[in-house]
Amino acid sequence: MTDIPNLLKQLISTSGLSGHETPVRQLIEEAWKPLTHELTFSRLGSLHGLCCGAGAPPRPSILISAHMDAIGLMVTGIADGFLRLTSVGGIDARILPGQLVTVHGRQDLPGVIVSLPERLLPPHLRGQAIPLEYMLVDTGLLPERVKRLVRVGDLVSFAQQPFETAAETMVGHTMDNRASVAALTHCLSELKKQTHAWDVWAVASVQEEVTLGGAFTSTYQLRPNLAIAVDVTFASSPGSPSHRTYPMGEGPTLVMGPNIHPVLFKTLKETAERLEIPYSMETAPRHTGTDAYAMQIVAEGIPCMVIGIPLRYMHTPVEMVAIKDITRAGRLMAEFIAGLDADFMSRLTWDD
Amino acid sequence: MKSLIQKLVETIGPSGYEAPIREVIRAEVAPYADLVQVDALGSLIVRKGKSAKNGRKIMLAAHMDEIGVVVTHVDENGFARFSNLGGVSPRTCYGGRVRFLNGAQGVIGSDRMEDLTKMPTLEQLFIDLGASNSKDTRVRTGDVAAFERPFVDLGSRMVSKAMDDRIGVAILIEALRQLKDTPHQLFFVFSVQEEVGVRGATAAAYGIDPDLGLAVDVTGVGDTPKARKMDVGLGKGPAIKVRDGGMLADPRVVDWMVKAAEKAHLPYQMEVLEGGSTDARAIQLTRAGVPAGCLSVPCRYVHSPSEMVDTGDVQNSVRLLLELLSHPVEF
Repeated sequence: MTDIPNLLKQLISTSGLSGHETPVRQLIEEAWKPLTHELTFSRLGSLHGLCCGAGAPPRPSILISAHMDAIGLMVTGIADGFLRLTSVGGIDARILPGQLVTVHGRQDLPGVIVSLPERLLPPHLRGQAIPLEYMLVDTGLLPERVKRLVRVGDLVSFAQQPFETAAETMVGHTMDNRASVAALTHCLSELKKQTHAWDVWAVASVQEEVTLGGAFTSTYQLRPNLAIAVDVTFASSPGSPSHRTYPMGEGPTLVMGPNIHPVLFKTLKETAERLEIPYSMETAPRHTGTDAYAMQIVAEGIPCMVIGIPLRYMHTPVEMVAIKDITRAGRLMAEFIAGLDADFMSRLTWDD
Repeated sequence: MKSLIQKLVETIGPSGYEAPIREVIRAEVAPYADLVQVDALGSLIVRKGKSAKNGRKIMLAAHMDEIGVVVTHVDENGFARFSNLGGVSPRTCYGGRVRFLNGAQGVIGSDRMEDLTKMPTLEQLFIDLGASNSKDTRVRTGDVAAFERPFVDLGSRMVSKAMDDRIGVAILIEALRQLKDTPHQLFFVFSVQEEVGVRGATAAAYGIDPDLGLAVDVTGVGDTPKARKMDVGLGKGPAIKVRDGGMLADPRVVDWMVKAAEKAHLPYQMEVLEGGSTDARAIQLTRAGVPAGCLSVPCRYVHSPSEMVDTGDVQNSVRLLLELLSHPVEF
């Protein structure tokens, strides 16, 4: 049995910004090796783990995807030894000043994000949140040394240490979406304990935060009959709109909307109810903001489902998730997959 | 090379209406190609070389379309309202000149602006074709035009309304001409409809199914007075794209380009562009995914009628491309 809190801690402590996922992919490979029959990579670097089903070939297959790429920052220029920045993925600049970071130059360098003192800012920016272009990374090194070690285009990742709270929740950067990678891992270890007729492709996808690139390309390559994306969703916190946030620690969300095949939604919901796994219903009237948005329209089209893990403070270095929601999402997927029989696709209709 | 560039930038070819520029390019590349094809969307595809044992199937893309305008309505006095094909800013339109595919020419005027400090919207602009009523006007709804502005040679710098991306087209043509030996099977794609959503390269990449993709396109700069902060400037060599608004270049492709530039002792700069994208994005997301990157030519005033590039950067771009294509790829 995989130790999920420990795995998650390792996952978020390993870098893997969008487009540069290799370090974290190597860690996931290690975790998935004992749980899968075969591990391969896509040409863009997504990890594909295959668990062969027990059904007679040719077997149908399901793809379960969690993106492994992280948001972060990139060096756009060097001024007197200080680094100018742009974002990779959606970054809220308000939370950046004072953050500890790692600059991935010719060697990894610790640094801190600083902003200009208020009196040096242009007048129209005083007294308000400072845009990213007025922030810098200070590595404490002399300009000459910075010039040798850092160049434009180098990555900068968050260095906040993860910690566990007293309430079995974990806090850290990149819970989006390593929490879902942990859920996939839990699903794979659950599947190991039971027989399943279908082939299962577990995919740790690349570049979700920028182009959904991993989802488009891996789905094209693997051509599953069904696909499930697991991603984090907004958990409720003080002042959050109740119709767009979901309680943390009370189970994963099951998403409904045009990105979702209604029969898949219904079957997952019934599975959760049968197993008494708590869940919330989430509606996504447009873009689900997940790999499923790409996977649905690959090749001839793939019926999709999205499972959400409620997370507080999304896209900050203190993203918070409940460990229980991760294991529940993993177990729910495993039970759903174990229940897929040879005729499932014939019941996946649009008629009723 | 300058006469080739002048010929390319002075030929019309707005997005979706690339026939005139396609014929000019076809005549230039035909003597050097193993095979010349036009795909279903109109992209011109030149095949060159056979893949040796250590070779790859490489797609090179420079888009041949340019931004332009399309007539939406002609009023009774002969004034034509228009919409944009690609990223046309009203900021650069007023007083500009356009030439239609049928040869008709016009100038762009504006409704009276109540507040002269404000920029007009495209809806407030019109094309005056010099006619006094709709019957004399040589255009009608749906007719397409490109901006009209002659090529200017400033010596070490060149200016045109269509450097984006005819300069990429010129670099590909020149590399094709000079290429002596390659271990790769190369597809030089002169793509259509880049300016309206990298559409030509999307289809071409699917059809070619390459192992590796490289776009050649222009990028913005930060070297003009009070410019945005961007570490790319004219005359400092070709730019190697790390990212733009639409993609993260494959890090293996970035490394391949950096090493080639250093090996050939060519100047280069790293590019981090915050908006916009290129055909490389389309190639990267094709089928099961393709490692892709972009060789960028630094360009001032992109999408204006006076796009400026540095002659040395253009020559070094050709050299870098030749260095990249003449040797096996080591990743």
